Amino acid sequence: MKSKRFEVLKDRPVNQDGYVKEWPEVGLIAMNSPLDPKPGIKVENGRVVELDGKKREDFDLLDAFIADNAIRLENVDKAMSTPSLDIARKLVDIHVSRDEILEYSLSMTPAKIVEVVGHMSVLEMMMGVNKMRARKTPSNQCHVTNVKDNPVQIAADAAEAALRGFDEMETTVAVARYAPFNALSLLVGSQVGRPGILTQCAVEEAVELVLGMRGLTAYAETVSVYGTEPVFIDGDDTPWSKTFLASAYASRGLKMRYTSGTGSEVLMGYAEGKSMLYLEARCLMMTKGAGVQGIQNGSVSCVGVPGAVPGGVRAILAENLIAMMLDLECASSNDQTFTHSDLRRTARSLMQMIPGTDFICSGYSSTPNYDNMFAGSNWDAEDFDDWNIIQRDLRIDGGLNPVKEEEVVNTRNKAAKVIQGVFKALGLPEITDAEVEAATYAHGSKDMPERDVVADIKAAGEMMERGITGIDVVKAIKTAGFDDVAQALLNLMKLRVSGDHLHTSAILDKDFNVISAVNDRNDYMGPGTGYQISAERWSQLSDIDNAMDASSIN
Amino acid sequence: MDQQTLEKLIRETLMAMGSDGVTSTPTCAEGRTGLEAYPLSKKQPEKVMSSSGKKLNDITLEGVMSGAIKADDCRIAPETLEKQAQIAESINRHAFAGNLRRAAELIAVPDERILEIYNALRPYRSTKAEMIAIAEELEGKYSAVVNGKLVREAAEMYEKRGRLKQA
Amino acid sequence: MQMNPEDVRKIIESVVGKYMAAEEQASHPVAAPVASNGKLTLNEAGTAVKGTRTDEVVIGVAAAFGVHQTQTIHGLSHHDVLRELMAGIEEEGLVARVVRVLRSSDVSIAGNDVAKLSGSGIGIGIQSKGTTVIHQKDLAPLTNLELFSQAPLLQLEHYRMIGKNAAKYAKGESPRPVPALNDQMARPKYQAIAALLHIKETEHVVHGGSPVELKAVFH
Repeated sequence: MKSKRFEVLKDRPVNQDGYVKEWPEVGLIAMNSPLDPKPGIKVENGRVVELDGKKREDFDLLDAFIADNAIRLENVDKAMSTPSLDIARKLVDIHVSRDEILEYSLSMTPAKIVEVVGHMSVLEMMMGVNKMRARKTPSNQCHVTNVKDNPVQIAADAAEAALRGFDEMETTVAVARYAPFNALSLLVGSQVGRPGILTQCAVEEAVELVLGMRGLTAYAETVSVYGTEPVFIDGDDTPWSKTFLASAYASRGLKMRYTSGTGSEVLMGYAEGKSMLYLEARCLMMTKGAGVQGIQNGSVSCVGVPGAVPGGVRAILAENLIAMMLDLECASSNDQTFTHSDLRRTARSLMQMIPGTDFICSGYSSTPNYDNMFAGSNWDAEDFDDWNIIQRDLRIDGGLNPVKEEEVVNTRNKAAKVIQGVFKALGLPEITDAEVEAATYAHGSKDMPERDVVADIKAAGEMMERGITGIDVVKAIKTAGFDDVAQALLNLMKLRVSGDHLHTSAILDKDFNVISAVNDRNDYMGPGTGYQISAERWSQLSDIDNAMDASSIN
Repeated sequence: MDQQTLEKLIRETLMAMGSDGVTSTPTCAEGRTGLEAYPLSKKQPEKVMSSSGKKLNDITLEGVMSGAIKADDCRIAPETLEKQAQIAESINRHAFAGNLRRAAELIAVPDERILEIYNALRPYRSTKAEMIAIAEELEGKYSAVVNGKLVREAAEMYEKRGRLKQA
Repeated sequence: MQMNPEDVRKIIESVVGKYMAAEEQASHPVAAPVASNGKLTLNEAGTAVKGTRTDEVVIGVAAAFGVHQTQTIHGLSHHDVLRELMAGIEEEGLVARVVRVLRSSDVSIAGNDVAKLSGSGIGIGIQSKGTTVIHQKDLAPLTNLELFSQAPLLQLEHYRMIGKNAAKYAKGESPRPVPALNDQMARPKYQAIAALLHIKETEHVVHGGSPVELKAVFH
């Protein structure tokens, strides 16, 4: 006989997920691996000669880069000799400030920092995140993509996402050669929704840099680093080429963060028998050593790997916390699907949603997931109200807010019209009134008419050959008669001249005031300190249309 | 990019730097810039100039439409990056400040050359001699000494780890 | 700690075997019009060199393809997959050449390497788990003409379309890209298994190894 209960359980979404048992020898272990190196450092004449048990003559590219660039040597004795358990306790001690923690954490080796967080429960790590997040005010980022790379839909979705509260937006492509159009549509649509949104286009490193230099994006994020040398090389970079790239971005006034995450090395076949978290700590130290202001991490696109082993979701929170302990901006993933189960995906996100991070999702899908070209996000457009209600239930600020339908429809319509005008002014393939109409009311690309893909791809290539810049786009918007949007985009271009947004955790408000970990530094020291939800913000978060009002009943 | 445009760019950059081009990190006459100056665009917009010498407040929609403002007028100047580096240092972000200073050196390097150098630094792309030549170019042509050092260091490490272009 | 490679292989094979069996039971049978029980032999014919024919497309198979692994993550046999890719190329009147890439198991690097060997400058990279890319010799290795990153969604007819499109690029045409496939639940279901398969493939990578010319025989 078969148990009927087991039959029911077998069909539950959670049992559609793939799981694997730990296998430390190939790195299929989230954290606390018995095979991880033991913390240790030896410094001679101001130079690291031994790191986590490895001598300089045996250093690979990554060890050498970390030893020479990533560890502040002045505090290294104090940091390395203080027991890891004591430092873990300081992380949850409200009487110990963020700055005091940094005195230790900026002078640790990868194995040491992994050992510290290895002592902590997820609740304790969340308390650590609450204190160590760089920017006081939490925020959120979304994905804006679709399976057809439809530019009108991208513009409309970006505009709506801006109304819903996202401060940063990321697009990518179904077909790589569409990248210029996707970047352009996102840039324009976002500024229609709310001036001051920062946008990016995730494509191959060199292409991404060109888009940025041209002024078609405002920042970059898909600048990936990996925790073992063979995987770094398969990623077609080295710590030095990436460092040069980081400086190249800043030289053009472009904000930039790296991307890394647990599981990438094992997924790419070379984990060298180390835990996922240990390898991630190496990535974070390389980020620090390169002088990059921040990181997108939390397994990101590899989340199926830590998600399949024991303690994987804990390791993801631990890697976010390590990033913050290195004083890096942390865009904390929660972006990609890892489960069929609504319960699992919510539990996973609460780890960052409750304490708040610089960007809780580093890609909440602003479209239905069938249109999410990052292969699906943990949260999508159909979850907007769930996210809003969770914020309302827990009185937390997850960066989003309820919106009115009429306002959304109007904004989508305007964004579609602006991109229509831009395409016309720049001599790109026509966007018809029917497309504008469809994008205004669309949920996803299934609601959009087909475009001539071959003509679009050809024109996108020509647009790059013609050297179209952000300034040309400003002109095109003005020519199309949308002065407010043209001004917003010009303000975004001016930001490159001041560089205020290059700093750690920078976002902009609608008046282009920079809010960063320079002028909005996290000062959490226990209840009543740190980020507090203002009365105005609480009314925005809590006031939903479908709540019954007693005063409306006679 | 042709030689003429290149020279113009270098000239403009040197002008904006207000230096003879020998110093790679321009000195700030008024002393160090601290937290109180941040954000520069709001606290001292009159002092923020693009690398082409345009004042922040001169970058207007009218200017764009008349053709007075071009894409090259929306580029950051080395002095501004130096100020941002000093602001970062005032809150203990030394590695980040170092990145901004490397960036300040790269402002004068044209977009195309930046891309070529980046690609040349990727694994298996260059011989050691080619990398040293890039370092010399950065140091000699652009006074980018910190970047030159970075490339030399990379050349050494690539040689040691077998990541140079295979003959 | 050092593990004997033999032991590692045994463990992987047992783990993978278990998952593949479970997957096959769980998933619906593939409704591929041309699925077969055919066997594939890939005979080695020395180091691959740059081709001179402008009417060829080179298919770069990853290190374990057709030998140590014989089916994709979706359970399509390498015999059928390679036959469809080649048939797609031949339908367009072009010639397919098969090369094994040894220096990397990354699909884009494999694709770019063989594009550089291809007389037309167009290549296709394919991993044992089925991930496929259409590449062009002058593109940066990690970009592409078309990338099919979600291997579990690829059916045999897609491989034929990929072959056809590669051939069209080789002829200088601008084909409409093979429609993008997207399933947000592919990752939860397959990613950890993909990791196991890729670890296994990567074991056969030879650091600095030269590409090997292959003669495909379909039985």
